[in-house]
Amino acid sequence: MTTSFDKLSTGDTIDGPSFAVSRESIRLFCDGSLDYNPLHLDDNYMKNSFGKTNFGGIIMHGMNNFGLITRMLTDWAYPAGAIHRRLETRWVKPVKPGDTIQPVGIIKAKQTTEKSRWVLIDVLVKNQNDEKVAVGEAMVEFPLTA
Amino acid sequence: MAQAEVFETDFWKDANLRKVWDEIVPGELRKTLPYVLTREAIQLYCRSVGENHPLYFDEAYAKASPYGGLIAPPSIHILLMFSCTPADDWMRTPGTVNAGQSWSYNIPARPGDTVTLQARALDKFIKRERLFVVHDNVFFNQRGDVICSGRGQTIRPM
Repeated sequence: MTTSFDKLSTGDTIDGPSFAVSRESIRLFCDGSLDYNPLHLDDNYMKNSFGKTNFGGIIMHGMNNFGLITRMLTDWAYPAGAIHRRLETRWVKPVKPGDTIQPVGIIKAKQTTEKSRWVLIDVLVKNQNDEKVAVGEAMVEFPLTA
Repeated sequence: MAQAEVFETDFWKDANLRKVWDEIVPGELRKTLPYVLTREAIQLYCRSVGENHPLYFDEAYAKASPYGGLIAPPSIHILLMFSCTPADDWMRTPGTVNAGQSWSYNIPARPGDTVTLQARALDKFIKRERLFVVHDNVFFNQRGDVICSGRGQTIRPM
């Protein structure tokens, strides 16, 4: 259902797309993003520890979460004539091949400014065990004409 | 400055040319390269995150939309970060771990845009024995319009 600034309430949720993570999806993200960091490609390299952290195998790009959250926000905003303006994220837990992740958005606040209207959204990405893998916040503009 | 003709996917090659944490000077501009964003590059990126909106794929749909033509998704800066920087850029150092990002979006990038990047480390610090760098980045199109701007933190390999 197409949303509008007036209809939105705090606590409303936006359901994002489910995404199955595999070695192939990670490899495709390497090609799509040109980020060929061996963290995402090289199992032997990933036997090493990074400071105090050992990932135990290749991990998905953190920015794959970012891209998936963006997809959720734009698919929600475009039909309403709204514009995705800001996204801030941090990664909480590594994502590995075999995981299935899904972003969700929760409306936190609405703000009217001198020339426009804004919706602040808490975002998070969960894996199949309901664990948070990424958290953040977003800002979507609903121009007065939308 | 010419666009790199072939993108080197082996990030170990040239690894010794890249700055380590100690050598990164906050405030100093990074070397960047102009990059012509193609429809093919946008659509390959889109497929890698499951983006299928017609604004990125369907020219007739996009033309009739308020955008007036095909655009790239806002998160295209993920690709632009690597396509606008040379092989010796420290963002490619193997083991660089992304610790968080914030991005603001002004206007969409479009197929055919020549995208340029202004980028620098803004700060660096040590926390819980980890080496952090804060970087800021602004992408422009060929008219000098800001596409998007962002700040990120990476943990540098030791």
